[in-house]
Amino acid sequence: MLNFLGKRAVASGISLVGLILLVFFLSRLTGDPTGLYLPLDASEESRNQFRAIHGLDKPLFVQFLNYMGDLIRLDFGESIRRSEPAIDVVLRGFAWTLQLALITMSLVVVLAITLGSLAAYHVGGVFDRIATFFSLVGASAPDFWVAIVAIVVFSVTLGWVPTSGTGTVWHWILPISVLFIRPFGLILQIVRGSMINALGSAYVKTARAKGIKNRPIIFVHALRNALLPVITVIGDQAAALLNGAVVVETIFGFPGVGKLMIDSILQRDFTVVLAAIMVTAMAIFLMNILIDILYSILDPRIRY
Amino acid sequence: MNRKTPLVAMSLLASTLAFGAHAQSNSVTVVLSEELEIVEPCSATKSNVGRVLFQNISETVTEMDPTTGLQPRLAESWEDVGNGTWRFKLREGVTFSDGSAMDAEDVAHSLVRMKSEAIACEIGAKFFGGIEITSNIVDAHTIDVTANPAQPILPMLMSTVTVTPSTTPLDKFVDHPIGTGPYTFDEYARGQHIKLSANPSYWGDQPTVQSATYVFRADSAVRAAMVAAGEADIAPNIALQDARDPAMDFSYPNSETVFLRLEHAYAPLDDRRVREALNLAVDREAFVGTILANGTLLATGITPPSTIGYDHDLKPYAYDPERAKALLAEAKADGVPVDTEITLIGRINNFANVLETMEALHAMYQDVGFNMKLEMVEVAEWLERYAKPFPADRGPEIIEAQHDNANGDPVFSMYFKYHSEGQQSGLTDPKVDALIAEATAATGEARAAKWSELFGYIHEEVIADVMLFHMVGFSRVNDRLDFAPTIRTNSELQLSQIEFK
Repeated sequence: MLNFLGKRAVASGISLVGLILLVFFLSRLTGDPTGLYLPLDASEESRNQFRAIHGLDKPLFVQFLNYMGDLIRLDFGESIRRSEPAIDVVLRGFAWTLQLALITMSLVVVLAITLGSLAAYHVGGVFDRIATFFSLVGASAPDFWVAIVAIVVFSVTLGWVPTSGTGTVWHWILPISVLFIRPFGLILQIVRGSMINALGSAYVKTARAKGIKNRPIIFVHALRNALLPVITVIGDQAAALLNGAVVVETIFGFPGVGKLMIDSILQRDFTVVLAAIMVTAMAIFLMNILIDILYSILDPRIRY
Repeated sequence: MNRKTPLVAMSLLASTLAFGAHAQSNSVTVVLSEELEIVEPCSATKSNVGRVLFQNISETVTEMDPTTGLQPRLAESWEDVGNGTWRFKLREGVTFSDGSAMDAEDVAHSLVRMKSEAIACEIGAKFFGGIEITSNIVDAHTIDVTANPAQPILPMLMSTVTVTPSTTPLDKFVDHPIGTGPYTFDEYARGQHIKLSANPSYWGDQPTVQSATYVFRADSAVRAAMVAAGEADIAPNIALQDARDPAMDFSYPNSETVFLRLEHAYAPLDDRRVREALNLAVDREAFVGTILANGTLLATGITPPSTIGYDHDLKPYAYDPERAKALLAEAKADGVPVDTEITLIGRINNFANVLETMEALHAMYQDVGFNMKLEMVEVAEWLERYAKPFPADRGPEIIEAQHDNANGDPVFSMYFKYHSEGQQSGLTDPKVDALIAEATAATGEARAAKWSELFGYIHEEVIADVMLFHMVGFSRVNDRLDFAPTIRTNSELQLSQIEFK
C-alpha cells in the first residue's frame, strides 16, 4: 500500500506541475490585466508602473521561472485584485467550499444509498416509482432556477430561512438543499441500477435460501458488491463540488472557491487562478487516493 | 433526551435570534452587487467602493450637490488667488477616526497620494489626468492648491479628493481606511460583510443611522428578495425585471449615458452620411418601456441633462430608415465602401438587457442595409478595444459604451471621449479640441455656452457617434426607511442622509 501511495503521490506531483504549466500560459493568453485595474484614463507611465509592480513587464518565460522559484518557497504570489497573498484568498474560499461539499455529500451518500437500495428491493413498486420520479427530476433540474424558486418560496413568502449569506445554521439550509438535489438524483439512480443487478445474483439467492433476513441481505451482502460503481460516481460528484458550486455560491452569496475562480479568471488575477487550481487539484488528488483505498476495502480482489 | 440535546436546541435558538435580529431600529443593511476588491479612499469614485466609503468614511474638500451646486465639506470656503492657484480655508476642529486632527498637511498629502504612480488611484487618474497639482501650506487650516494647466473648476475637482491622514502610505492601498466622516470603518470580513458604525467624534451632526452592514450578492433577484424579506434595507442597484413593487422600488436617472462610439479613422465610418444613417436607422423610442425601463431618456449628449452646458434644444435623431437607406445609396454612389463589414461591439453585463439592446440595434442596422456583425465581449476585451492604444488593423468598429458623469460638469467627460488625445476618443477634429480647451478654461455662463456649442457641433455637424439613452436605475428600499435614491446613488450612498419613518 505504501508503495502504491508513493507512486500516486509522484504521479499527482507530475500532473500538478503539468497543470501549473498549462494554466500559467493559458491564463496569460487572456491578455494584460493592466487595463482592468487602472482607470480608463490612466497614463502610460501608470500602466508601465503597474506592470513593473506585478512583474508583468518581463518576458513570459522569465515570469514563469520567477513564479516557480517563488512556489518552491511556498510563495503563491499576491492577488492583484485584493492586494493580499493569493493563497490566503484561496484558502479562505476553499474552507467554505469544503464545508459545503462535505455536508452536502454526506447527506447525499446516506440518503441516496439508503433510498436507492430500498427502491431496488421494491423494484416496480410505488416506492420505486416515486423515488425514480423525484431522482430524475432532481438530476435534471437547473441549479439557478431551483435556487431562485427556493428563495422566493421559503424565504420571501414563508420566511422560514434567510435568502442568502452566512452566519447562522439557517443560512446553510437553502444552499445545501439546492446542491443536494442533483447528485442525490444521479447517485440514487446508480445505486438502484447497481443494486437490482446485485439483488438478482446467485449469492443473494443463496443467502435468502439460508434464511438471512432482508435488511442484512440488502445492506450487507448486496450493497457491498453494488458500491464500486457508486463510489466512482460519488467521487465525480464530490470533485465537482470541490471545484466550487459556482451557481449556488453566486446566488446565495457563499464566498467559496468556485465563484472566486470564475471572478479571478474574468479579472485576470493570475496568481489567484493558479493558487485556486493548485488547491482544488490537491484536494481532488487526495480524494482519488481515498477512493482507491475504498475500492480495495470493498473488493478484496483489488490489491495495490 | 441526552445531554447534547439542550446544547443543540440552544444553538438553534441562538441562530434563530441572530437570523431574526437583522432589522435593528437604528442600523441598516445595504446589499451591493459585488464585493469591494479594495477599501481605498483614493479610489472611492469606483461605484461600489464609493457607496461604502465616499462621505461616510472619507470626506472630500468640497462637495458637489447636483441640486444646490458646489458646497463646503472639509473646506469652509475657497477663493481664486490667480495663476491657477486656489486658496482653501479648512474647517477647524475636525479629527480623523484615529483621533488625530485634520489639517492642511493631510490635504497636501492626499493630493500627492492620489497622483502616486505606485498605487494608481482612481481619483488621480480619472479627474486629474494630465494636470500637475502642487500645494503650499499657508497655515494649519489654509492651503493653496495650484493646477497646471490652470483649472477654473479646481474647487469642483476638489469635490472628488478624499482626505486621508498624512501618515497614510504613498506606495500601497489601505485595508482599514481612516477618515473624518460620520462613520468609522469597523470590520471587513472578506466575502461576507463590511461593518461601519457612527463616529462619536464627528465634527457635524450625529447621524440617525448608527451602524451599517454591507453584504454582497451578485444576483439582482436575490438582492431584491433580501429587501422584500426584511434582511436588507437598501439594494442600490437591481434589474428592471426585479423592480416590480411600487411600494419599495424607486427609479431615478442614474447619470449613465449609453452610446455607440464610431471609429472615424476607418471607411465607411469616416463618411458623415454613413454616420448620419447610423443615427437615423435606430428606433430609439421602441426600446423605452420594452427592454429598457420607462423613464429612460433619449440622449443627445454624453452627459446627463443636469450637467452645465447640456444643450436641451438638441433633438435626438428621429427614426427614418428610408432616409438612412438613401444616405447610404448616396455615399455608395460617391465611392464610399458602404458594403464593408462593420463590427458592432457590445460589453457583456454592461447594463440590464444589454444583449437584447445590441441585438435590436444590430437588426435595425441590417434592415437599412449595413453589412454588420455583432460581437459581445467580456470587459477585459472590451477595454482593449475601447481605450487607446487601439489594436492595430482593427477595421471599422462601433463600440457600445456606458458613461457615468454625476459631477455636474462635462469637463469630466469631453476630453477623454472626444479630444484627439483623449484616451477613449475615436475622433480627431481640431475644432473639437479647441472648443474643449476653451470651455475648460471658461467660467460661469461663458463656460456653459462653450459646452453647449461643443454638444451641438458634435451632435449635428460632426455626428461623432450614435447617442442613445440616458439610463434609469432601480433601487429597492425597505419601507421602514425615509430615503429616496437620487442620481448620486449610482456612485455614493451617504448613510447620514437616511432617516427612519
